[in-house]
Amino acid sequence: MKIMQTQTEIMTFDPEIFFNVLLPPIIFHAGYSLKKKHFFQNLGSILTYAFLGTAISCIIIGLIVYGFVKAMIYVGQLKNGDFHFTDCLFFGSLMSATDPVTVLAIFHELHVDPDLYTLLFGESVFNDAVAIVLTYSISIYSPKENPNAFDTAAFFQSVGNFLGIFTGSFAMGSAYAVVTALLTKFTKLCEFPMLETGLFFLLSWSAFLSAEAAGLTGIVAVLFCGVTQAHYTYNNLSSDSKTRTKQLFEFMNFLAENVIFCYMGLALFTFQNHIFNAPFILGAFLAIFVARACNIYPLSFLLNLGRKQRIPWNFQHMMMFSGLRGAIAFALAIRNTESQPKQMMFTTTLLLVFFTVWVFGGGTTPMLTWLQIRVGVDLDENPKEEPSSHQEANNSDKSVTKAESARLFRMWYGFDHKYLKPILTHSGPPLTSTLPEWCGPLSRLLTSPQAYGEQLKEDDADCIVNQDELAMTFQEQTSIPCSPSPGPVVDQKASPQTPSKENIYEGDLGLGGYELKLEQTLGQSQMN
Amino acid sequence: MEELATEKEAEESHRQDSVSLLTFILLLTLTILTIWLFKHRRVRFLHETGLAMIYGLIVGVILRYGTPATSGRDKSLSCTQEDRAFSTLLVNVSGKFFEYTLKGEISPGKLNSVEQNDMLRKVTFDPEVFFNILLPPIIFHAGYSLKKRHFFRNLGSILAYAFLGTAVSCFIIGNLMYGVVKLMKIVGQLSDKFYYTDCLFFGAIISATDPVTVLAIFNELHADVDLYALLFGESVLNDAVAIVLSSSIVAYQPAGLNTHAFDAAAFFKSVGIFLGIFSGSFTMGSVTGVVTALVTKFTKLHCFPLLETALFFLMSWSTFLLAEACGFTGVVAVLFCGITQAHYTYNNLSVESRSRTKQLFEVLHFLAENFIFSYMGLALFTFQKHVFSPIFIIGAFVAIFLGRAAHIYPLSFFLNLGRRHKIGWNFQHMMMFSGLRGAMAFALAIRDTASYARQMMFTTTLLIVFFTVWIIGGGTTPMLSWLNIRVGVDPDQDPPPNNDSFQVLQGDGPDSVGGNRTKQESAWIFRLWYSFDHNYLKPTLTHSGPPLTTTLPSWCGLLARCLTSPQVYDNQEPLREEDSDFILTEGDLTLTYGDSTVTANGSSGSHTASTSLEGGRRTKSSAEEMLERDLGMGDQKVSSRGTPLVFPLQENA
Repeated sequence: MKIMQTQTEIMTFDPEIFFNVLLPPIIFHAGYSLKKKHFFQNLGSILTYAFLGTAISCIIIGLIVYGFVKAMIYVGQLKNGDFHFTDCLFFGSLMSATDPVTVLAIFHELHVDPDLYTLLFGESVFNDAVAIVLTYSISIYSPKENPNAFDTAAFFQSVGNFLGIFTGSFAMGSAYAVVTALLTKFTKLCEFPMLETGLFFLLSWSAFLSAEAAGLTGIVAVLFCGVTQAHYTYNNLSSDSKTRTKQLFEFMNFLAENVIFCYMGLALFTFQNHIFNAPFILGAFLAIFVARACNIYPLSFLLNLGRKQRIPWNFQHMMMFSGLRGAIAFALAIRNTESQPKQMMFTTTLLLVFFTVWVFGGGTTPMLTWLQIRVGVDLDENPKEEPSSHQEANNSDKSVTKAESARLFRMWYGFDHKYLKPILTHSGPPLTSTLPEWCGPLSRLLTSPQAYGEQLKEDDADCIVNQDELAMTFQEQTSIPCSPSPGPVVDQKASPQTPSKENIYEGDLGLGGYELKLEQTLGQSQMN
Repeated sequence: MEELATEKEAEESHRQDSVSLLTFILLLTLTILTIWLFKHRRVRFLHETGLAMIYGLIVGVILRYGTPATSGRDKSLSCTQEDRAFSTLLVNVSGKFFEYTLKGEISPGKLNSVEQNDMLRKVTFDPEVFFNILLPPIIFHAGYSLKKRHFFRNLGSILAYAFLGTAVSCFIIGNLMYGVVKLMKIVGQLSDKFYYTDCLFFGAIISATDPVTVLAIFNELHADVDLYALLFGESVLNDAVAIVLSSSIVAYQPAGLNTHAFDAAAFFKSVGIFLGIFSGSFTMGSVTGVVTALVTKFTKLHCFPLLETALFFLMSWSTFLLAEACGFTGVVAVLFCGITQAHYTYNNLSVESRSRTKQLFEVLHFLAENFIFSYMGLALFTFQKHVFSPIFIIGAFVAIFLGRAAHIYPLSFFLNLGRRHKIGWNFQHMMMFSGLRGAMAFALAIRDTASYARQMMFTTTLLIVFFTVWIIGGGTTPMLSWLNIRVGVDPDQDPPPNNDSFQVLQGDGPDSVGGNRTKQESAWIFRLWYSFDHNYLKPTLTHSGPPLTTTLPSWCGLLARCLTSPQVYDNQEPLREEDSDFILTEGDLTLTYGDSTVTANGSSGSHTASTSLEGGRRTKSSAEEMLERDLGMGDQKVSSRGTPLVFPLQENA
């Protein structure tokens, strides 16, 4: 008996292992593989789902579970006083981290509609980051007097914490990626792919460690580091290093993910303090469905007001269905299992993960056919454009917020294209043409010789993406500041020039064939 | 509130862990960048490992003298309830329970010198980290990249250097050091106990050579491939022998009162332990390698390179864990697992998995190695219990050079008696010169630093590693040109076949009948192993080789049919593979044991060699890389011997 005891004790890892060893490669890999053209097309929707959606789902789950807890106390199943509203919110936030890895694997295999894929994938990736920070800021919410009453100061402190940690981690992650991009750009490290891969790996890891050392969230930093690495550094790597880094992180992601899921199965029996509480579990099941519904349907409705390419009903149903829970929810739940409510939450989380992965994961293929979502889509094919012209007509009156956000995106894209890309990578227009005259020497220093050669080609391709993205998400606004918006006719005309361009831009080139001329003239005038 | 306090403390400690790890990571980053600069400018006097040590030293100095000494709250409580240490301890501090875990025993005199500096304590790793995390990838990579045809050609010499040589060097260093220790006792320099077994232990740990710097330069300059294979093979197997040797010396415990006198029973027990651990680890490593080969052969896993790579990695890792769990030496098991994987499994992998596994282990190896070397630099300053004893250090330096000389020159002399392709004097000097010490010696030395003698050894080992890596590593290029060792050799090119035909003729002549008996025997053992490997193991474990249906006796035809993969029957595959493989065997044996092979088994050898005339020439390009160059030799032998030619396929069918 005693031997058994120690054996199970040995098989129980320190939960911090998940956060320090297993999750970083998973999250980094997710960020690193986000470099899909459809991701940037749907960026607005993805961010909405990830931030607003997670907040909504957290609050709704928290409220429903709180209702169940109250009911249980009333019935006498639960002692009054140990399950507070903050605990419920905590549960809500950790349950909001969706991880539809099963669904995505099937989507990938069946070549399901790329827009749906990107929406789900992007949402789940950013979701995790939001949920982690949210959980942390809820757990440090501690009002002064009555520890469970509402306290405005403490609440705002928590909100401040959330924002601080999130932006801090974001800044840390991108800073490291920018450093990597600069290093790989200005050294000839690409002669030695092994050194390059090593550097890439080490700097990405240091993003995690620095964030942890600074008291921020390493995982969030690693996520944004991955996204930035994919956006900038990846272009500077030698082709050997590109496959090496891809494969390395793919491999680590695969191992880490399977270790976590194995451990989940193990933990159901080896964890010593399970509390199975049937009403709570039922309540949680109900809560996550309701919350998922409240997150997807209203947000999709709102987004559809602004999107050119609407999110149809079957996509919404599919997204609703794909609310699987996975590694992050588990890791967050196992991190703290000291008090009784936390143990109850852990058990419930475990069961929810099992249920969603097995039942939902297994039901994906039937669901796809039932919802008539098209499969076998060629990834490079452009989505159909039929409604666009019709759309444009009735969109002349738009809200100020939309216009603003469109301007924001546009500004960012212009900045990224004109300054960041040329500084950090070998592509983009030469800085000498985009920067003002007075910083000429600096710009000449920072521009790589390749940029002059490839200027024209890259310039086009890049611009077009920007234009296209904006056109897709905020199409009506975009068209006003910058001349006629891309129409379907132009699109077909320009499509044959694709092959030599970078992968992500491929599909988008067509759309911008027209835009190209406009931008080109703009650039020319600046140069002269 | 108190709960919050402990939580905060845990958070603080986590933060410091992150900082200390970050220090190392940034060190490695810096090393990578600098080494790129060096490679770019073709600077060869400093290898990346040496560079990593220099950066480690700098950071060590900063940490040592630049950070304030903060002290934790320590309090010693006496406890007399049980005479055994508790692994975990619950302490009741005014109503609150805190859990403490066992860290290790402290000698009574050192109670007050428990490390006070928090930062220094953080950057000092548990030495087991080296054995469980950092060394396995290094050693596995070494084993995995041993699949060089020159390695198998020089197998006999390599084994002789590794086993006999390590034993010789261990004893010589041990004895010399014992003399030095005696001298120190007379002079009055030694205050603590230092036994003969300690000296032998030192001999064992310092016998693990690690000429990574030299090998990197060889690789870059394309130095003579035979020399490369000899040095690399020796250093790899060396490590394994040294680990097991040191652990069996530690296990030497005579029965009587005097625990450090010679005791025959205990001595033989130690020898038994050595053999047991070595063969156990060897078996374990090769068994996992074989299992991986079988799994990759009989599943269609090569359609999914990711899964294949993961399986490969996990199986190799489980070797290590399995061996450690069974009380064997994981590092040795991993080494042999690596060799087996390279020999069998590698052939079954898909093309993508081959490059994936190669690259994966290359990166892991690179990172782990540089990590260890930068840690070494750091340890010179952050390790708190250094014992610098000039006499011991000078004695150790003299001892390692004498030990190296006493091992290379006599062994080379004996090997030259049997080798056709003799090890030239300049090669011997170069091997003597390349006796660098590296990661393994350091890891073995840091493993146990409890007693005074061990601390002195650790300090000395550290200095020896520094000296050899910087001075000897830096002197490799001048030494190569001074010794007139040819560089820029094309690895696929034959060594000059100077007296090839002469040798073969001599082999056929009557005087070789009365050849050395032991030589003949070992040749016979090698021959037996090679043909077994070729006829049974290769076909069973890989898709190459002759179909088992032809090599196995007819009564186990069913088994043979089910073990033979369908590819083997396809087109000319069997013939081709068979030829080239067998010829390798011939080549090996003739090179190492030139004359005796031919007499021992002359006729059967020529059969297969003849097949190579047809099969080999035709398919030379597609045959495995390592086998290629031996084809040529086979031809010549055929012509000189002129025995009747029979195709083995027809014979067996």
